[in-house]
Amino acid sequence: MAANTTVDPNAPVVYEQYEDIDQQQETYIVGMWAFLVTEVMMFGALFLIYALYRWKFHGEFFIYHEELSWQWGGLNTMNLLLSSFFMAKAVQAAQLKKTKVQMAFLGLTIVCALIFLGIKAIEWIPKFQHNLVPTDSFHWPPHEPHGSGGGSPEHARVFYSLYFIMTGLHGVHVLLGALVIGILMFLIKTKNKVITDYIPTEMVGLYWHFVDLVWIFLYPLFYLIPK
Amino acid sequence: MADSTHESGHSHHIVSNKVLNWTFLQLFIAMLATIAAARLPFDGPKFFPGMTGFFNQFQNMWWLTNLIALGIAIFKAVQVIKYFMGVKYASNLAKLYCVGGFFGFSMLFILFWDYVGRPYEPVQGWERMPETAFPRDRIEVKEEPAGHASETPVGESSH
Repeated sequence: MAANTTVDPNAPVVYEQYEDIDQQQETYIVGMWAFLVTEVMMFGALFLIYALYRWKFHGEFFIYHEELSWQWGGLNTMNLLLSSFFMAKAVQAAQLKKTKVQMAFLGLTIVCALIFLGIKAIEWIPKFQHNLVPTDSFHWPPHEPHGSGGGSPEHARVFYSLYFIMTGLHGVHVLLGALVIGILMFLIKTKNKVITDYIPTEMVGLYWHFVDLVWIFLYPLFYLIPK
Repeated sequence: MADSTHESGHSHHIVSNKVLNWTFLQLFIAMLATIAAARLPFDGPKFFPGMTGFFNQFQNMWWLTNLIALGIAIFKAVQVIKYFMGVKYASNLAKLYCVGGFFGFSMLFILFWDYVGRPYEPVQGWERMPETAFPRDRIEVKEEPAGHASETPVGESSH
C-alpha cells in the first residue's frame, strides 16, 4: 500500500481506498467518462429529434438554414477547435508540472470560450429582433430574408426551435466550461490542496473537449445543409 | 513516431507536441473540407466558373453531401477523442466507457423504425388523424363524401 508512506513531498496523495496512484487516477478518468456518457445521451436525444425532422423536411430545412451565417459558424468552429488544442496543451503542461505554461493555456482557452459566446450573441441578437425565436411573436418569412423565404411557418418554427435549443444548450455548456476553467485556475493559483497533480486539469479538459465534440456535429447540421 | 512520452515515476502518457500539432492541423483541414463538401457540388458553378457541367451531375445527390459531411464530422470527433481526450492512451476500462457511450447513442436511432413504419400502420381510421409528431403522408386515403371521414374523432374507427 502506498497510502501515507510517500516520501516525496511533491508526489500526489494516494487515498486509502486505492491500491496505488494509477488505480486512483484511472478511477477519476472513468468517473469523468461516466458523466460524459450521460451528456452524450442528453444531447443524443436532441440529435435524434433533429435527424427525424431533417429527414422529413429536408428541402425546407435548406431554406430555413439560409438565415444562419455559415461564415460566423465556421469562425466559431475554428475558435472551438483552437480552444480544444489549447486545453490539450494545458493538460500536457500540467503533466510536465509547468504551471506557468499550464495557466497560460487555460487562460487562452477561456478567451476562446468568451469569443465563442460573443460570436453567438452576434448571431442570436438579430434573430430576436427579426422574430425568429420560436415564441408567440415568431414570424416567418422574415421581413428581409437572406434566402428565398419559402417553406411554411410551422416547419420553420420546428427548425428554429431545434436551433435555439441545441445551440443554446451547447452555449450553456461553453459558459459553464469557462467558469469551471476559471475556478481551476484560481485553485491552482492559490495552491489549493485539491490540486495534487494533473488530474483535475485532465478532467476539466475532458469536459471541454466534449463541448468541442458537440459543436463539431452542430456546425454541419445547422449551418451547412445542402440544397 | 514516438507519439507519447512517460513521466518518470508514473505510468500516464504525455501526448507529445508533435501529435497535438498534427491533430490540430488535421481538424482544421477537415473543417475546411466540411464547408467545401456542403457547398461545392450545388453552389459550385458560383465559385468555379466554367465547371457548371461538372457540378450539375451532383444536383440530385444531396444525400451524398450529407454522408460526406457526417463522415468528416465523425473523423474529427474520433481525432479529438483519441488524441486530445487521450483515449488512445487510456486504460481499457476508460475506453470501454467511451465506446459504450457512443454505442448507446447509436442505439437511439432504433427509434427510427417507428417513424419509418408508421405510415403503414394497419389501424383503420388513423389515416385521417391530424398531423401529430410526424405526418402520415404516405397513406393513400380514399376519397369519401365531404363532411364524413374528415371529422373522425381521435382514437375511433371510421367504420
